[in-house]
Amino acid sequence: MSKDQSEIWTKPTVSASTYGNTVASVQNIRAAMQKNCKMTSMRYLLAFCLMLLWATVAAAQTGNEPVCIQCHDADMMKPAFRKIPAEWRQSWHHQNGVSCHDCHGGDPTDAAMAMSPQRGFVGTPKYQGVPEFCGKCHVGILKNYIESGHGKALKASGSGPNCVTCHGAHDIQKANIDIINEQRCSQCHTYERAGIMKQALFATERKIRDIENALKKLSSQGMYTAEEDKTLFRTEAEFRTLFHTVDVSLVKEKTDGFDKQLDGLRKKTDSLFAELESRKSFTGLLTLLFAGAGVVVYLLAKTYR
Amino acid sequence: MWKYVKNWIEIRIGLSELIRTHLTGYLVPANLNIFHTLGFVALVGFIVQVITGILLLTYYVPQPDHAFKSVQNIMVNVPYGWLFRLMHVVGSNLIVIAVGGHMLSVFFMNSYKKPRELTWFAGASMLLITLAFCLSGYLLPWSQLSYWATTIVTNLPSALPYLGALAVTCLQGGQNVSGVTLGRFFALHVVVLPLLLLALVSVHLFLVRRIGISSPPFGRAGEKKPWTAFRHEDHPGGTPFFPHFVLKEAYMVMVFFALLFLILTFAPTLFLPEDANMPADPFKTPAHIKPEWYFLAPYQMLKLVPNKFAGVSLQIIMTLVFLFWPFLDTNKEDNLLKRRVLFAGFVAVFIGWVVLTVWGKYS
Repeated sequence: MSKDQSEIWTKPTVSASTYGNTVASVQNIRAAMQKNCKMTSMRYLLAFCLMLLWATVAAAQTGNEPVCIQCHDADMMKPAFRKIPAEWRQSWHHQNGVSCHDCHGGDPTDAAMAMSPQRGFVGTPKYQGVPEFCGKCHVGILKNYIESGHGKALKASGSGPNCVTCHGAHDIQKANIDIINEQRCSQCHTYERAGIMKQALFATERKIRDIENALKKLSSQGMYTAEEDKTLFRTEAEFRTLFHTVDVSLVKEKTDGFDKQLDGLRKKTDSLFAELESRKSFTGLLTLLFAGAGVVVYLLAKTYR
Repeated sequence: MWKYVKNWIEIRIGLSELIRTHLTGYLVPANLNIFHTLGFVALVGFIVQVITGILLLTYYVPQPDHAFKSVQNIMVNVPYGWLFRLMHVVGSNLIVIAVGGHMLSVFFMNSYKKPRELTWFAGASMLLITLAFCLSGYLLPWSQLSYWATTIVTNLPSALPYLGALAVTCLQGGQNVSGVTLGRFFALHVVVLPLLLLALVSVHLFLVRRIGISSPPFGRAGEKKPWTAFRHEDHPGGTPFFPHFVLKEAYMVMVFFALLFLILTFAPTLFLPEDANMPADPFKTPAHIKPEWYFLAPYQMLKLVPNKFAGVSLQIIMTLVFLFWPFLDTNKEDNLLKRRVLFAGFVAVFIGWVVLTVWGKYS
């Protein structure tokens, strides 16, 4: 884990202090405003207009983002915390509507209560607590991870790899087989065993990608593939949990089952492509028929001239 | 046998006299071009819409929970359902082109002038009805695209004072687009608008036949007789309506169908972007929702005019000018090329429309 990452995951109190600073700033502003009670009505109006303008611009810029982003984007935030919104916006979580409060709790609509434990704010987990933190949603993966060599190492020594080690914290990308690579794995152990597992997963992973691309293509051609998308998502999610066992023999054993499911999906996509081709041929034939009829009618009309 | 049947009909309805009067003996100007056939092409297009619409109606369920699924069922499971749905979708766009082209050619050839003001009014109303058909039909698949595009369009009247809020509530049947809106748009699409269109087509065709087809102003010899009393405009040196002009119309109808199936073959999703393939989600606003191509110009114009009320008012005024144009244009000259100011205005409006459409598409 990099130094920056460990800082983020082990110092939750910094966010709270920043929050405290923000509250203090607001209180100072309020006090200053009370002192200036002699402000003329024109000034009040001007201040109100400026606030309205600021609120409009802020609302336009933030859209539906949680209030957490407003503070984390602010200049007063420490650089390590300030880069979080940008990382999150690039992440797979962001693409799928997973926001700050989904992991960290709190109230994403109320700046004052955003980090309140009463609203379920849990802050940042300790290094050893990360698997349970992510496992709130990724239940199946947590189970396999805990039983794996990685999970056991973390439990025994407190320093084994956790979720963040391989996937990152806020810049999480869609999981794929390339996460298993020599550079990453050899930080802790030799790559040999990981390489064998990657090879075992490779063919299935390629099938998943092929079917995913085929479904995208079908969808762009007007075929509704929601059922197939769901089946692929389910199969892929189950396949992902298998990664986390870090057990080569188990991966080899179970890969056949996944391959069968994927072959079923492949047959379905192939039949949909065949259907599209037959539709194309049929309408192509109709085009030729009407174009031919048009030529006949044109020649016939010419004879009447 | 055939002779017997012919004789049987002849005695009862005088078929040969009917054919002579309305087809072979009915003379139309010899210099009618293919633009004069666009009205008939649009009529054939409407008939195709009615037939495919009835077939779709047998499987479509106008309820928010079932609408999207029923359309997908039509596309995947119903035999040739995909063909009828795509013909309906692409056909509607081609009709807009045909009706728009027909109106443009009528304007360009000044065929709306006295005594054809009512014919223009009926035709212009039909173009608006066609757009209303497109708008109401757009919501029916209950996709993300249809839901959000309808939300935008039905909220436009809110810019008008007093009646704006009432108009929005009447259109949506509540505070937002919902199952009530779907029910209303469905009723409009399959009952109200077809009846209105049928009435307008009848009036339009009656007026065309009663007054006679106007001859194009280009290359016409001699002065036109002034219209001081009603008369049918005859064309003694013209060509028979059948077979000469009917063959021209038949040729353009074949072009219409060839184009329709060409689009179905090589670009079946031309009018069905990705959002049209996703079920409506009232809680998830798509990033860039845009109306259909024929609404892009007014959509872009509304975006450019800073005041929403002014933007909507401007569009209402433009629509009224379009509807009542023959009553506003009292100039006797019926050759547009000899009216430089009007011609320049016509070209400017046409180019403006194209520019706004392209701008709206890529903005």
